[in-house]
Amino acid sequence: MASEYGTQTAMPLPAGLSGALPARAGLGLKPEHLRSMLQHRPDISFFEVHAENFMVEGGPLLHFLHRLRDDYPLSVHGVGLSIGGMAPPDADHLTRLAGLLERFQPASFSEHLAWSTHNGVFFNDLLPLVYDPVSLARVCAHIDQIQERLGRRLLLENPATYVAYAGSSLDEADFIGQVIRRTGCGLLLDVNNLHVTCRNHQRDPLAYLRALPLHAVGEIHLAGCAEHTTADGGALLIDSHDRAVAEDVWGLYCTALTLTGPQPTLIERDANLPPLEEQLAEAQTADRMLCACLTA
Amino acid sequence: MSDGLIASMAQALRDPAQPCPAGLRESCPADPAQRFAIYRNNVQSSLIDALADTFPVCRALVGADFFIGLARAHLQACPPRSPVLMEYGAEFADFIAGYPPAASLPYLADMARLERAYVMSAHAADSVPLTSRQLQDLLSRADLLHDARFQLDPALALVRSDYAVASLWGAHQEDDVTAALAGVRPGQPETALLVRSDLVVAITAVPQSSGELIQHLIDGASLGSAASIFQARHPDFDLASALGLLIAYQSIIHVQLPGAN
Amino acid sequence: MNKSLTTASLALALGTALSLAAVNAHADDMAKSAAKEKCFGISMKAKNDCKAGAGTTCAGTSHADYQGNAWKNVPAGTCEKTASPTSPTGFGQLKEFNAKGA
Repeated sequence: MASEYGTQTAMPLPAGLSGALPARAGLGLKPEHLRSMLQHRPDISFFEVHAENFMVEGGPLLHFLHRLRDDYPLSVHGVGLSIGGMAPPDADHLTRLAGLLERFQPASFSEHLAWSTHNGVFFNDLLPLVYDPVSLARVCAHIDQIQERLGRRLLLENPATYVAYAGSSLDEADFIGQVIRRTGCGLLLDVNNLHVTCRNHQRDPLAYLRALPLHAVGEIHLAGCAEHTTADGGALLIDSHDRAVAEDVWGLYCTALTLTGPQPTLIERDANLPPLEEQLAEAQTADRMLCACLTA
Repeated sequence: MSDGLIASMAQALRDPAQPCPAGLRESCPADPAQRFAIYRNNVQSSLIDALADTFPVCRALVGADFFIGLARAHLQACPPRSPVLMEYGAEFADFIAGYPPAASLPYLADMARLERAYVMSAHAADSVPLTSRQLQDLLSRADLLHDARFQLDPALALVRSDYAVASLWGAHQEDDVTAALAGVRPGQPETALLVRSDLVVAITAVPQSSGELIQHLIDGASLGSAASIFQARHPDFDLASALGLLIAYQSIIHVQLPGAN
Repeated sequence: MNKSLTTASLALALGTALSLAAVNAHADDMAKSAAKEKCFGISMKAKNDCKAGAGTTCAGTSHADYQGNAWKNVPAGTCEKTASPTSPTGFGQLKEFNAKGA
């Protein structure tokens, strides 16, 4: 029941210093497309970039991001804090992140429920964690440190996973609910991740969706996924971000909106990029659903 | 215990020869090893891709297949230590120098050094160059010039090589790489100067003597001592043209005069 | 030791450098826009992302299987075009390297 999470025990932190993201569609933006976006100035409600791609001292990346920031609301999405890792978030990395957020004042900052660093080695992947009381306590401690250091609330993204652990004693949605209740962070509801995870682990996506702390949603992600046939003939979904959003995901998105109300909605595309018009068309579909699903 | 599981997963992700870690839930469809393989492939391939993005000329020189083998060996030996992949590859040049399969290409390590310097230069801190008026004003304080120390643009870098790395790099920027390479003599030593202007890094071959002078200034030598070394080592070369490079590329961002703060 | 001479020559060198630069201003104006685009391409390339599948067959890439050990030991790229008659080592002539266990 969503109402179970209706009261927060932690103090809410400000989401950002420049107001919230508009509850409309935005686009994920890779640095190599920054300049063409500045030329085309598409009619889009916000852009989202990966924090780690802009952790530099100067030069073209920061220059063009500043110009984009002048005209569009910005969301910064981290991929390197390793919140689910055994070690606390790296102090140097947090300092660089704090500097980036200070510089660009994004309306939103989000990260993943995953680990990516172990013993100082960075794996560049969002790796799944065991859901048990030990890792719950650790994740909460890490998020507390991050929110305190950044002085803002983060949105935590539900993962896309391909393996599950025999040792997990908590349900993923329940784990996320407890993290949010204890830390006061928000939820970045990635509907494609939800779809991928549920298919890969043969779960009911609607039940999983309803079990999430939907009152805490601050943003929604949509993306395309790929079918992968493993060597032993199993069919798995991969969070590939390399194609259009799947029909099933649009359906889940519509349902999610009826439960969360209107939310800033990001179309993520990281590979096999189509012409800008196609990406804008997907954003328009999301914008239409933001109205239609809520008035239906 | 979950902590041991993360450790064994981390090990298996790095080493494809390792078996799939125990502790994954038996599931349908696809067994745990097949599922785990997705992560391992993603880790390996995304890091190889990151190296390919930073070292495109090295990759072109050796071909895609060889580069994959080289990059895989490198990431076994020197995995990234920072989540900022822009910075990954600091040890790549040294690794290549000690990588026997690359021994037939003696300039490959220096090309890696140059490409790495290129990325660092592109993302170096911004700075404001001294104006020509400010530089002219120095002439009126000629007595202080000997002990003046130049602070140069953080985006400026030098790569000295026994091979023609600047020309080889330049040839790979042309549309017809093969034709451009025909005019390059790889065995010609070159000093590559990297400067960033208008947000773009340019690489040019400069005289070795000029490179040495600039390197002394970067290392903090006073103008007088750098110039003395220059003239002693390169009596036939023109100090004015060496200094002229820094002025032409607007690379002088501060001059510390003796007695000033 | 003869610092006064050095001071004079330094001032002369710097003065000459300044006047040279003034004459050559814009003469050295960097590259055509095509070359500039390529340079942006190198420096603006994203390296961090949060997608999966670069190494899976379904991701639209034609990469080799990174788990396998099959790869070529012999460099076979543009290096083969760099052979030079003046180069004693003949960089274009590649020798197979037999890596143990590679």
